[in-house]
Amino acid sequence: MIEEPYRWVEAIANRREYIEAQLAPGSPIAALGYRDGILFLTLGKTRQKIFEIYDRIAMGAIGHPGDIERLRMAAIELASTEGFSRSATDVSLRRLVHYSLSPVMKTAFEQIYGPPYLARMLFAEVGERPDDDLFLRVEYDGEITTNGATYAQARQDFAVLSGTQQSRELMEAFLKTQHAPDASFEAALNSALDAWSIGHMTLQTNDAKELPERAAVTKYRKEQLANSGIEAALLERDAGRAIRYRLLSDTELRSLIND
Amino acid sequence: MERSPVAFDQNFSGTASDFLTLLRSKGLLAPALVNPVPQAGTPQKTWQPTEATTILAFKFSGGVLVAGDRRATAGNTVVYDRADKVLEIDRQSIMAIAGVPATAWEMARVLEHSFQFFRRTQLQEMSVDGKVRALSKLLRDNFGFVMQGVGVVVPIFATYDSHPKPEARLYFYDAMGAQFEAADYAATGSGSPAVRGILYYENTWGRKPLQELSEDEAVSIALRALDTAAESDTSTGGVDRSGKIYPLIKIVSREGITTLPESKIAAVFKETVA
Repeated sequence: MIEEPYRWVEAIANRREYIEAQLAPGSPIAALGYRDGILFLTLGKTRQKIFEIYDRIAMGAIGHPGDIERLRMAAIELASTEGFSRSATDVSLRRLVHYSLSPVMKTAFEQIYGPPYLARMLFAEVGERPDDDLFLRVEYDGEITTNGATYAQARQDFAVLSGTQQSRELMEAFLKTQHAPDASFEAALNSALDAWSIGHMTLQTNDAKELPERAAVTKYRKEQLANSGIEAALLERDAGRAIRYRLLSDTELRSLIND
Repeated sequence: MERSPVAFDQNFSGTASDFLTLLRSKGLLAPALVNPVPQAGTPQKTWQPTEATTILAFKFSGGVLVAGDRRATAGNTVVYDRADKVLEIDRQSIMAIAGVPATAWEMARVLEHSFQFFRRTQLQEMSVDGKVRALSKLLRDNFGFVMQGVGVVVPIFATYDSHPKPEARLYFYDAMGAQFEAADYAATGSGSPAVRGILYYENTWGRKPLQELSEDEAVSIALRALDTAAESDTSTGGVDRSGKIYPLIKIVSREGITTLPESKIAAVFKETVA
């Protein structure tokens, strides 16, 4: 039955449809490289979505909390043992994701008698200069997207994650025009909030193809900020300290927001 | 079958994340000896407490000062005169070591990674009691080596506790892992008897108690104490006047750890010690 190739393809397609539906309501996360580091930001009141993985690596994720937890723990264990047995500079996000997490997620996704990971993750690693920042998005099937230049697009200094492809693409379209790698922290914070608002608005409608009006975004953002807490973290570029991850509190951000 | 690099425990509860257990499961750390007493057939060697160095720490008005000389010895040979025995474990904690460097540095490394691993996995800082206990456990696990005459480590641990009451905390240990909280000062290593005498004297009959000293006064006393220890203990470097090698001094305070620049130590030394 399931051994027939056609059945297998069908089962995988069903599984993909199921997972996409599960992830669809996931609130967006934006990660923006700026002059002094990388800012991770999302809005929400419930569980934590942004995490420290290692000295220069952070992660944001949407999906099932149990699956996120197992993947997060695996990433921390891998990075920590590598950093302990070699050195902190040998821990690389590229290797962590490409050689360890992605193959495992792909296997879990394609073995249709076992459970897949219900999670979509966004990793970032801060570099010495904005040009060295690395962003990786990992899908539930192990698929990896980076911020590097390809034949179709220039190198980006940001990455986003959202419940649907449409929402993600609009956030990317917005940041492509509004965000620059040498932005100040304040500018990056406001771009991240706008991008989040656009992504979240898009999740509420089914057929948004174009970026919403500026005024609509501002209004939506204001409403959401009034009701939700800001969850944000930094990976600082400052080379004075080994551990670059720092949680930002809601209160210290509120004063920097342009209304 | 070899364990996959990302092997997941299906019964994962989120609390199993002890860094030592993880290292041992990957073969990156020697197993703790269940019975540290040497078995029949093990070459017997009497245990001599040869922690050849001098480390001291005391509380003063600005937090805890931790100082160590720079000499490393093997038997009666000086092998290195710029050894760093005062090690930063995290933003608020210092471990200063007397004993076998290979074991001590490895312990510091394990400790540093354990604290970070705990914070990253559990999403909260490890408590001061937890940190103090973690070092105690490492010493206890190492006791087999101590009994075999190799690998003795006798550290001092200084940290700043912001909970429940903000204050500097200072601990010293014995080679088996017993931990003692010091009220005012602690010293370890072969030169420590002299240092302990000086600190006791200063604290009791000196111009003022150690806890009231300013930073410059504290540095001055630390330098004088190390110089006194070096006077009679060949394993303590003290201050190398010709080579201009000064002890390493770090301060733990509410703001974190400060390493005193050599120029500052040299100035205090020139003014009040030399």
